[in-house]
Amino acid sequence: MIMEDSHKRDTFILKRGQYDQRGQKVTAGVPRSLPPLPGDAEINRLSLAEWLVDPRHPLTARVTVNRLWQHHFGVGLVKSSEDFGVQGDFPSHPDLLDWLAAELIQLKWDIKALQRLIVTSATYRQSSQPSLVALQIDPENRLLSHSPRLRLSGEVIRDQALFVSGLLVERIGGPSVKPYQPANLWNEIAGPTTSAYAKGYQQDTGDALYRRSLYTFWRRAIPHPGLQIFDGPSREVCISRRERTNTPLQALALLNDTIFIEAARGLGTRMIRDSGENDTARIRHGFQLVTGRHPSPEELTILLRSLEIHQRTYANNRDLAAELIGVGESEPDHNLTASELAAYTAIANTLLNLDETITRP
Amino acid sequence: MINLDPVTRRLFFRNSGIALGSAALAPLLREQAGATPATSLLHFPPRARRVIYLCQSGGPAQMDLFDYKPALEKHFDRDLPDSVRNGQRLTTQTSGQNRFPVAPSTFKFNQYGQSGAWVSELMPYTAGIADRLCFVKSVHTDAINHDPAITFLQTGSERPGRPSMGAWLSYGLGSLNQNLPTFVVMTSATKTDGQPLYKRLWGSGFLPSRHQGVRLRGTGAPVLYLDNPPGVSRTTRRQIIDDVNAMNRLRLKEDENPELSTRISQYELAFRMQESVPEITETGDEPARTWKLYGEDAKHRGSYAANCLQARRLLERGVRFVQLFHRGWDQHENLPRDHQKQCQDTDQATAGLILDLEERGMLDDTLVIWGGEFGRTAYCQGKLTRENYGRDHHPRCFTMWFAGGGVAAGTTYGATDDFSYNVAANPVHIHDLNATILRLLGIDHLRLTHRFQGRNHRLTDVHGRVISALLA
Repeated sequence: MIMEDSHKRDTFILKRGQYDQRGQKVTAGVPRSLPPLPGDAEINRLSLAEWLVDPRHPLTARVTVNRLWQHHFGVGLVKSSEDFGVQGDFPSHPDLLDWLAAELIQLKWDIKALQRLIVTSATYRQSSQPSLVALQIDPENRLLSHSPRLRLSGEVIRDQALFVSGLLVERIGGPSVKPYQPANLWNEIAGPTTSAYAKGYQQDTGDALYRRSLYTFWRRAIPHPGLQIFDGPSREVCISRRERTNTPLQALALLNDTIFIEAARGLGTRMIRDSGENDTARIRHGFQLVTGRHPSPEELTILLRSLEIHQRTYANNRDLAAELIGVGESEPDHNLTASELAAYTAIANTLLNLDETITRP
Repeated sequence: MINLDPVTRRLFFRNSGIALGSAALAPLLREQAGATPATSLLHFPPRARRVIYLCQSGGPAQMDLFDYKPALEKHFDRDLPDSVRNGQRLTTQTSGQNRFPVAPSTFKFNQYGQSGAWVSELMPYTAGIADRLCFVKSVHTDAINHDPAITFLQTGSERPGRPSMGAWLSYGLGSLNQNLPTFVVMTSATKTDGQPLYKRLWGSGFLPSRHQGVRLRGTGAPVLYLDNPPGVSRTTRRQIIDDVNAMNRLRLKEDENPELSTRISQYELAFRMQESVPEITETGDEPARTWKLYGEDAKHRGSYAANCLQARRLLERGVRFVQLFHRGWDQHENLPRDHQKQCQDTDQATAGLILDLEERGMLDDTLVIWGGEFGRTAYCQGKLTRENYGRDHHPRCFTMWFAGGGVAAGTTYGATDDFSYNVAANPVHIHDLNATILRLLGIDHLRLTHRFQGRNHRLTDVHGRVISALLA
C-alpha cells in the first residue's frame, strides 16, 4: 500500500520533458497567490485536502458552485469555468457567486442542498421564452432574463429514452457495461493485435443493455460512438464544460441507433397498453411522456394522420412490421398486434426525435 | 518555483503575443459553402485548397524504399559503429541486443525520371511518378514508440488531447460543401497485423467537436447510423422526418430559436446524407481508366486502393481534408517479406491517385502527403541473414514525400548519413513539416491559434519553421 510506504520519492524537473534528463529537485507546495498550507502540518494528501476545503480558501467553493450553476444554466456565472485565473472571464454576477460559495460552505458542502437552492430560485423557474428586448440587448442571456434552452447531454438523451420506454434498469453501481455498438468498430481501428481487447467488442446482453449511460464502458482510443456524437469528451484531457453541437450525425443516431428503435418500441407499447383503445388518448399519453405537456391540436393532427399512414403500411406488409418490432434484444409484447405495435413504434420514433424531447426545458 | 529556460520563456511570450492579436482571425476565414474561397482573409495566397494525407502507420523503412544506402552493403553483419549511434536511445525491443549488425536492403534501387530520384523495386508505380514528387529524406521526430509518435505526427503533441491537423484545418479554413463533413478519415484493411489507431488521431482535441474527422467506414454503413433500421422504409423515414420537422416548426413559430432552425435543417441533411453518402462508396460509375490507375483492388471496399479512390471522390464533392491510415508497416521481423506485401497493397493506388488527380486537373490545388510516424533502423533486430532481417523504430531520420499544389515537384530535400541513421543535411522536424503544410494552404502556423487552459495553442505548439525549399 502506498500509504504505508514511508519512503518519499524524490521528484525532479525533467528537462524538455525527457524522462532521463533530470534537472532541479523539487518539493510539493501550493501557488504563492493562494493561502499557504497549514504551517505545522506535514505536506501530504491529507493536508492538501484540508487546505482545499478550508473556508478561507478563495477558490474551491466558488469554482464548485460555478460548475453546479453551469450544470443547470448551461453557462457558469464565470463563463470560463475551467479558468478562474487572470486569463479567465469576469463573473457576470460576482456578488451572487460569492453568496452561493458562502452558502455552500454553510451547507457543509452539501451539493444536493445547493442545487435545490438553485433550481427552486425564481431565476431558474423563469420561462425559457426570451423577450424581444432580451434578444436584442443580451443575446447570450448572461443577465438571465429567461431560462436557457439546452440540448440534453448524450447520456441523458439515451437514459431518458430508456426511461420513457420502460426499459431502463435503475440498478446502481457495478462494473461498466457494453451496450449495443455498430459491428466491427473496434477491429477496424485497433484489431486484431491489441491484446487487451483481442476478441473485439464483446457486447453484453440482458439488463446490461439498458443501464444508465454512465455505466457505458469507455475505451479512450475508440469511445462509444453514441455518446461521442453528442459531444461526449474523449477523456484524454480534463474539461469542465462540454460543447453542445447540432449535427446531422445526431439526427441519424437518434433515428436509427438500435437502442433508440428499441426504446421507441417500448414507448409504443406503453402508449397502446396504458391508454385504452382510443388512438387519440394513446398519442396524448406518449406525447406527454416525452415532453411533459399535452399536444396542441395541430400536433395531434400531424401525429394522428401519420399514425394512420403507418398503420396502413405495416398492415399491408407484415414482414416489415415484424422486422421493426424485432429490433433489439428484448422481446416485443406478443399480445399486441405486430402491425399496430410497428405503427406506434414509428410514432414513438417521431416523438423521441422532437427537439422538445431532447431539449431542456 | 519552476525556472523556465530563458530562451524557451522568451519564445513563449513572443509567440503568444503574436497569437493574441490574431485569435479572432480563424472564424473570419470560414468560407460560406459554395461561395468563393475567402482567400483574401488567409495569411498568404494558398497554393493548395485540399489535402490528402496518406498516413503509413507503423513506420516504413526508409532505406528499403527511398533512402538508397549502397554503403550498407560493405557493412553487412558488422556492428553499427559507435560513432554513428553515438549513445542514442533505443527502444526496449532492441536495447538488450548484444550486437547491432547492419542489414543492407535486399531490394534493388534505380533512379527514375528527369529528377533521378532513387526508388526501390518495391515501389514501381511510385517510381513512375517520381518527377511529380518532392522527397524529404531528413524528417525527424521526437518519439520512438508508435502511440506517442503517431499522435505527435497527427496532432503536434505526443500527449493525447490536442486537435489533429485536419481539425485545425477545418477550424481555420471551414467547409467547402454543405452535404459532407470537412474532414473525412478512412482506415484500410491490411494483410499484416498493424499497430492500433486511436480516435484522437482525427479528434478535435480542445477545438469545437464539429471539427473532428468523420470516419467513413470500409464495412457496413459508411457513416455510423446512416442506414434505417430493419422495418423502416425510405418512405416511412421521410414521413417521420417530415413529422418531426413539422412539429419543430410549430415550436419555431413561438420561439425564434436559431438552434431549433439548425436542428430542422440537420434532419433534412441527415435524410439527404442517406442518399449522398452511399453514392461516394458506390463506384460502379467509374470509367475503366480508374481501375487501370488504382488497380483491381480498388473494387474491394475497405482496401487501401478503394480508399484512395474514395479520397478523390470526396475531394470532388468538396471535402477539404481526407486522411487515410494504412496500418502494418511495423516490421521488427521478416521485413523483406512484409514490406513487399505492404507495397503491393499501396504502391499502385498511391501513384494512381496522383495521376488521377493530375488528369482531372485537381493536382494543382491538392496537396498529397505520404509518410509514417518514424523510420526504421539500419541495424537488424533479431536474426540477420542475406535474405531476411527486421528493423526497429527509428525517429532520427526517415523519408516522407509530398505532391501537388505548391510543392517543388521532382526534388529531393535533406540527406542522411551512410547508415541512414542520422540527418546529414537540412533536418526537417515534424513541426517544420506541419508549418510548411499550413503555409501551402495559405496559413501562417504562428497565427492559427485557439485559447485553451489559459493559453493559445497551435498545431506547431511553440516550434516549427516553414521549409521554403519544399515550395515551388
